[in-house]
Amino acid sequence: MPTTTASAVCTTVGNNILLRLTSGERDVKLKALRELKNQIIGNRTKKLSFLKLGAVPAVAGILSDAVSAVDVADNDENDRIVKDIIVQSAAVLGSFACGFEAGVRAVLDAGADILIQRGCLVEEMPLLKSYMEVVDAGARSLKMIYQSKMAPKYDFLQEENMEFLLSLLNNESENVSGLGASIISHSCKTSLEQKLLFDAGVLKRLTSLLGGSLIQRDASLESIATIFKNNPEVVSQFVGPDTGRTLSCIIEIVKDRFARTRLLASLCLIVIRNASPCYLQDVGIKTKLINNLLELLDDPGRVGDEASFAFSSLIAEKEDMQKLAFEVNGVDKLYNHLQKGSLHPRRFEGILLALADMCSKLECCRSRCLSLQVLKLVVDALAHDSSDVRSAACMCLRSVSRSIKNLSAGSFMNETIVIPLVRLLDDTSTAVQVAALGAISNIVVDFTTRRSTFIRLGGVKLLVQLSKSMDSTIRLNALRALRNLIFLAEDKCKEEIFMELTASLLASLICDPEPSVQEQALALVRNLVDGRINSVEYIFAEDGIILDAVGRQLRIASKAEIEIQGMYVLGNVATGKESHKEAVMDQLLLRAENKAQSCIIKFLQSNDSRLRTAAVWAVLNLTCSSSPGSSGRLVKLHDAGIVSHVKNMVNDPCLDVKLRVKTALEQFNSFDDSLV
Amino acid sequence: MSKKVITREEWEKKLNDVKIRKEDMNKLVMNFLVTEGYVDAAEKFRMESGTEPDIDLATITDRMAVKKAVQCGNVEDAIEKVNDLNPEILDTNPQLFFHLQQQRLIELIRNGKVEEALEFAQEELAPRGEENQSFLEELERTVALLAFEDVSNCPVGDLLDISQRLKTASEVNAAILTSQSHEKDPKLPSLLKMLLWAQNQLDEKAAYPRINDLATATLEDPAI
Repeated sequence: MPTTTASAVCTTVGNNILLRLTSGERDVKLKALRELKNQIIGNRTKKLSFLKLGAVPAVAGILSDAVSAVDVADNDENDRIVKDIIVQSAAVLGSFACGFEAGVRAVLDAGADILIQRGCLVEEMPLLKSYMEVVDAGARSLKMIYQSKMAPKYDFLQEENMEFLLSLLNNESENVSGLGASIISHSCKTSLEQKLLFDAGVLKRLTSLLGGSLIQRDASLESIATIFKNNPEVVSQFVGPDTGRTLSCIIEIVKDRFARTRLLASLCLIVIRNASPCYLQDVGIKTKLINNLLELLDDPGRVGDEASFAFSSLIAEKEDMQKLAFEVNGVDKLYNHLQKGSLHPRRFEGILLALADMCSKLECCRSRCLSLQVLKLVVDALAHDSSDVRSAACMCLRSVSRSIKNLSAGSFMNETIVIPLVRLLDDTSTAVQVAALGAISNIVVDFTTRRSTFIRLGGVKLLVQLSKSMDSTIRLNALRALRNLIFLAEDKCKEEIFMELTASLLASLICDPEPSVQEQALALVRNLVDGRINSVEYIFAEDGIILDAVGRQLRIASKAEIEIQGMYVLGNVATGKESHKEAVMDQLLLRAENKAQSCIIKFLQSNDSRLRTAAVWAVLNLTCSSSPGSSGRLVKLHDAGIVSHVKNMVNDPCLDVKLRVKTALEQFNSFDDSLV
Repeated sequence: MSKKVITREEWEKKLNDVKIRKEDMNKLVMNFLVTEGYVDAAEKFRMESGTEPDIDLATITDRMAVKKAVQCGNVEDAIEKVNDLNPEILDTNPQLFFHLQQQRLIELIRNGKVEEALEFAQEELAPRGEENQSFLEELERTVALLAFEDVSNCPVGDLLDISQRLKTASEVNAAILTSQSHEKDPKLPSLLKMLLWAQNQLDEKAAYPRINDLATATLEDPAI
């Protein structure tokens, strides 16, 4: 259908209305306002075209004039028309702001939010206050504005703003108290604001609204959740005779007949639960919440979509909740919903994330998923149009692939899974790439010989490419995947990977600006040189730039995790030939600037037992009795003061360290007695 | 599988032992009248029985005016009334708004105003389809009406039925009730459904006097 005719007609009608808005006669103005209102409500296209014609500032101007006119109003007839003009212009402005970003922007630019507040809701207009319709119209419009992402930030810190907010909440009218609740739900973001609101006593009023109409109840639940979210301090102050009442009130509402209310009540309780460990911990309430949310998944609309996200926030990182959910057949129920097919993307994403959370810690959940053939649906989701769904599918895969039993059986290293996953390494969305890397990191920990599948399908090339990304998160995750891929890999496999990586890339990654990337790079090298003696040779490639880089990082690093990986690299190299061991000695004895002693002494004295263990391992490997050069090395270590440090650790509190030190001392004793 | 047999005498005795309060029945009736929108009846019933409605009867009048307008085919009028009642309803209910616009088009076609209908379809309905993909299928069906000479006999002719108006009217009614925090369905039908379900469940275990005709609610002897 040609649209040019339509818009031409629209413009004519539009211009006509706007013309009449400028009329001097109030009747004509009012009629035009009503027509404009009826044109735009529900009609996004019309909102846009009227916006372009400048309707918003025009109507804001009319509202402003009308509000001023109230002061000088002198008779009933005048009052009534002025009142009607205010109501209609507020409704028009509210409609422009309803779910229409350009409209909200225009309304805010015209200062209409302040106009409406002053004109409709402030006490000083006695004439206006006698007209409930004016108050309601104003409250409705402001609520629309505050529901938008672009809503002006409500400054709770200003005392008069807080008073105004309280007056809104205490108002009898559903629309006005709803506005108050809406402002809290949408504007309260920081913990300071949460505390201010709590201290101002809004909870009392919000609790009483819980007993009001459906709309008041829903609005109140959202506000209560907002005040408590992630704020343990506020929740802990939530004690006293009122607490029990509010909590039990909300717990009752979890059984409400309206699905949306049940969801909001559940979310509210979850927020309180997550913020503080002392509330809502009994099995009864936990089970009730889980069952409620699983049931809400049946709702076909938005409520059902959001229920799975609520479920995730309930069980995420909490093994006890995941166990409970498993016992009430949570996995099966989620799977049943997945099976339905042609799911709304939001719902699809939510269910996948919920399954990911379920399988994050418990093997029983993962087994159940695999036996239900969930993987098939998850793999299909890897190719979904929505990047959020693709991302969620990867996270689900990552959780399920934590199953060591199945990794050992090679359940994941097959083309059906690997091909779509590898494709995602090239995805347009960074988040999807990172999520795919997470799944791949697990899957490549394959204990069969099927790693070659991954390499053959181009996985390594892509991983190496990603390890050069500008984005540090991607570099980090790509390295982690490579590190896992190389773990206990066969020689041929290692060779292929190393050729792709190259010594110079590895050396530069070890010196990456991001410490976490350095750590992964070192861990990768550790796995690379682990195993057979010829693996150690890799570190000497290209004139030993990798070994130099490792040594350099060890001397300047300050993070334990990096030092641990670095020491294990040296420890592994020290299991090699004589020349390898000597090279390690060279690195250890090289001093950093301004440092009087070898870095290994600092490690031996570290508070971190893992680091102490790694350091002693290196000493052990350098002085093993079977190697001809060990006694010479022992002398050098002694002269550097390292041997005496090791001897001092004979009663180390950590058992791992103590045992290694014992072995080391035995080795020392087997050499020249004069050194003991 | 022998079923227990309950005679009418036994059944009626059991029924007599169950106590129902008059107030509860009155509330059910009032709830039905109010939800369906029978204002005068509700008012009279309130006076005669002393039962208080759970809704302000004044709001029922407004709602009924809207419903009636749709039922008579005056959709534009209905839209204006809804917007006066609560401007949020149509702004937050794209599906309802679409159905009302759709009804407007149907009425224009019914009245033979083809030119106006074409213009309306272009200006008002097409944008709805652009704004929201899920409406496209219904949109196509509606616009198809314009393609046929003999509209009453075409494949989409059912759109011209009065039942379509009633469907739209019911949708508007429900939306207004929801916006007023009232349940959009009366309780009575749920009760009757419950009764039928319970009887079906009992049928598997016993033979007893059944209610087969809900309208008369007479007990019919069990077939032995």
